[in-house]
Amino acid sequence: MTTTLPPVITDWFARKGWAPRQHQLDVLASWQAGASALLIAPTGAGKTLAGFLPTLVDLADGSHEGLHTLYISPLKALAVDVQRNLNTPILEMGLKITAETRTGDTPASKRARQRAKPPHILLTTPEQLCLLISHPQAELFFGSLKRIVLDELHALVTSKRGELLSLAIARIAKLAPDLQITALSATVARPDLLAEWIAAPLPQRTTQLLTASGGAPPVLSILESSERVPWAGHSANYAHRDLYEAIKQHRTTLLFVNTRSQAEMLFQGLWAINDDMLPIALHHGSLSVEQRRKVESAMVAGALKAVVCTSTLDLGIDWGDVDLVVQVGAPKGSSRMLQRIGRANHRLDEPSKAMLVPSNRFEVLECEAALEAVAESHQDSEDPVSGGYDVLAQHVLGMACAAPFAADDLYDEIRHAWPYRDLPRSQFDRVLDFVATGGYALKAYERYAKLKRTEDGLWRVTNPQVVQQYRLNIGTIIEEPMVRVRLIRQRGLKKGQSQSPVGAGGRVLGEMEEYFFGTLLVGDTFMFGGEIVAFEGMRDNEAFVSRAQSSNPKIPSYMGGKFPLSTYLAERVRRIMDTPEDWSRLPDQVSEWLRLQAEVSLVPQRDSLLVETFPRGTQNYLVCYPFEGRLAHQTLGMLLTRRLERARARPLGFVASEYALAIWGLGDLSALIKTGRLSLDELFSQDMLGDDLEDWLDESALMKRTFRNCAIIAGLIERRHPGKEKSGRQITMSSDLIYDVLYQHEPDHILIQATRRDAARGLLDIARLGDMLARIRNHIVHKRLSRISPLAVPVMLDIGKEPIFGEARESAMADAADELMREALGG
Amino acid sequence: MRFAGQIFEPLPSGGLYWHAQDTLLVADLHFEKMASFARRGQMLPPYDTAMTLSRLEGDLRRTGARRLIALGDSFHRADSSRLVTPGDRMRLDTITEMVDCIWLTGNHDPAPHDMGGTSQPELTIGDITLTHEPRRGAKGLICGHLHPAAHIEMDGRSVRRPCFVHDSRLMILPAYGASTGSINILSPAFTGLLHLPSLEVTMLGKDRTYPVSPRRLVLS
Repeated sequence: MTTTLPPVITDWFARKGWAPRQHQLDVLASWQAGASALLIAPTGAGKTLAGFLPTLVDLADGSHEGLHTLYISPLKALAVDVQRNLNTPILEMGLKITAETRTGDTPASKRARQRAKPPHILLTTPEQLCLLISHPQAELFFGSLKRIVLDELHALVTSKRGELLSLAIARIAKLAPDLQITALSATVARPDLLAEWIAAPLPQRTTQLLTASGGAPPVLSILESSERVPWAGHSANYAHRDLYEAIKQHRTTLLFVNTRSQAEMLFQGLWAINDDMLPIALHHGSLSVEQRRKVESAMVAGALKAVVCTSTLDLGIDWGDVDLVVQVGAPKGSSRMLQRIGRANHRLDEPSKAMLVPSNRFEVLECEAALEAVAESHQDSEDPVSGGYDVLAQHVLGMACAAPFAADDLYDEIRHAWPYRDLPRSQFDRVLDFVATGGYALKAYERYAKLKRTEDGLWRVTNPQVVQQYRLNIGTIIEEPMVRVRLIRQRGLKKGQSQSPVGAGGRVLGEMEEYFFGTLLVGDTFMFGGEIVAFEGMRDNEAFVSRAQSSNPKIPSYMGGKFPLSTYLAERVRRIMDTPEDWSRLPDQVSEWLRLQAEVSLVPQRDSLLVETFPRGTQNYLVCYPFEGRLAHQTLGMLLTRRLERARARPLGFVASEYALAIWGLGDLSALIKTGRLSLDELFSQDMLGDDLEDWLDESALMKRTFRNCAIIAGLIERRHPGKEKSGRQITMSSDLIYDVLYQHEPDHILIQATRRDAARGLLDIARLGDMLARIRNHIVHKRLSRISPLAVPVMLDIGKEPIFGEARESAMADAADELMREALGG
Repeated sequence: MRFAGQIFEPLPSGGLYWHAQDTLLVADLHFEKMASFARRGQMLPPYDTAMTLSRLEGDLRRTGARRLIALGDSFHRADSSRLVTPGDRMRLDTITEMVDCIWLTGNHDPAPHDMGGTSQPELTIGDITLTHEPRRGAKGLICGHLHPAAHIEMDGRSVRRPCFVHDSRLMILPAYGASTGSINILSPAFTGLLHLPSLEVTMLGKDRTYPVSPRRLVLS
């Protein structure tokens, strides 16, 4: 294939002393051949230029009128950064090309101008794109469009944002006859599926799968510390000294952790020993935007020695000078690890250097597994997901806002979005019905319908408020209610003391989930933004804190941000345990731990499930080791406690870790099993995913939380808009009650279906639990012990630290009632 | 359950059966609450009225009560009774024909509804007064309005459910309607209404009610 570059571009390369890279030319060639392209390339491979080279070539002669290229990124910051990187060559080449961003921060006047007179290149996010296509003038706006560039596609296609984006692209494909798509992605397990994803809206075009040649293989190691690796916990305190030395020895270090609380703890720990006052910064999703930008620009300027960060720095911005990536805590998945390693050394010819730091003994095994997986470049990334009905409902309403539509046409268009390629017509009709009137076939609701089918057979929006409502509720990201955290001077209140009203003012430290403050008393200390602060009080949507000293501040437990261990790594961990010959590769303290386990109990094997029972104190414990991740274990714990309750084993609670599940109760489990009154095969049988699951879903708090998200996305209930609650303009109905009513009366309602789908792979991870139960069927190994086994120690130590699950249990009321009866009888 | 010299039976549905009077007491039915959101473009499921009616039919059947007294907020809006679907309306009419119905008025429905039975703001039977809103100092007052719930903790397990709550003078019934939320009895809304040392709390379970010690209560 030959590619031709206009002189203005070849001259520019020549002036710079560069040559276009092969994959950049490949993208250009595929565009010139009229094809779409998926480019798989590691970060730093010059992806931006690869994505935009065809645009620069096509626009070089200055003849194109209107929007030419649409760039979509999952991050606002990335769109801004790419615009900057793009404007440099445009300026240097002296081209008359306009490139602008459009994000939530873009002023209204500029948005209006952009709609009237679009730039050649518009850089934006999926949500902004949805707003654009729901506009009545979308047809005009997108008519001249020739290219869509999708950045970090691997990160988008596994989420609801990706579903929404696919629908938007299907619409644009109809509006823009000349459209070609270029997608950029990190290495994934199934690139063929990503290629299908971008091919679906443009069936008349071919799609080429292009791969940038990989650089040198990464140099990866596990921290070898002379310190003792703890049994449990996630703080990795033992490693702080070693990490500090590593930071000193490198130019710039990125330290990744899995949760925001780990980030806070690591940051504190490093500063506690920062005798050289090295510039070490913190970056996570709760910090204020300004604070994060400050860290990012200091990083770009090379002013930082290290940054402690969460997945907020997984994507995007090119850091340049990072020469060491550290993963503190379990890597969770091979692809995730490879992507993080890729953040180091963006020069392809030099190997990336990375270090894994397990924070407990099970994580040593997981890190070992990740080491092997990375050495084999094994990918375990999630595949693109098929589409949910909640997202579809939002899109259908948006399309009605754009223009009246015929149901047949819209159905046909939607099936060109890859996640909805198999959508049955009957389901589409139900979603349409739901959007129009709620779908309950009720006269009272017809009167207030959002959409009506008029005589010409087209569906139309009934009034302008519907459009307004749609615009306010756009997108699929549902955030926990947040409060702003402000730093004020200490007012000297004692713990628990009632407060005088706090004044306004104070620097904004960031935002934090509202529910966390519900657990605090005035005077309580906690870590936030790398500082220890004391809670001073709340006013409206703001929490006030002051600087404080404390040896044991509370650790805010953030929801989410915890990725489960990938199935692939879990399988490898089981294999390592089941291969005693390989234990010698492990640190002594870990291999010793496994040998001890083999002596007093058994080491879990690859294809069976080890269940231990033992007494401790006044209670009896059951510990099992499925290695299927915390979410699946929580669901298993819920279902097992129901069953144990029926078997009169009197369970009291359970705690789930990534690797194991511990349940405790008053009944003598060992005896129940020994006498045959309790069969483990029956206890763990797959039919728990039948009636028991149904009964539990009926009342599960996690299911209700999942439902709430679906209901907001689908427009059944409104988002909370800051400020509006106060004025009382926004009256809300508890989504829990809506769920109860809907679940009982219409269990196959499209929103219940959407909730089930999310629950199966999300918070409840039912899909994975199902696979596990099938795998271990009739392969349960029971070990009756007189006391706790070495392997059980970590999960037992989590009791009291991790949330325990005894929620909403009838038995708690029964016991409380018995207690009252004893009291009444003078017992 | 003893209150003001009378014996009552708390039902797991949230109804209170008064044996001596052959009367079923219920508070805060909030019929048609979900449907009332449709006018604002929120198409919530309209099944809450049917669910509340099923509870009511079940309780009337089991207790064999000859009289039903609803302690106000029976409909979510003053004009809600017009929204009731024909099917639900038939069930409602059957109830008003079958038993003697008294609909006390509430803050959500200050005027009588177009349906069977009688309507009045308050009713006194012997030493017992029935009304919608609680007030301080009254004796033998049974009311609703506040939607009480109890949250208890027991050996690391915790559960929050609607409840009956009373002292020697005042009894507050849980909200009966399927669409009703609830408020923790330790929250400020209840401050000063009840005499804490003589507090009795009865929580609603699946098939029975549970009297629990106030010592177990927590504020969630």
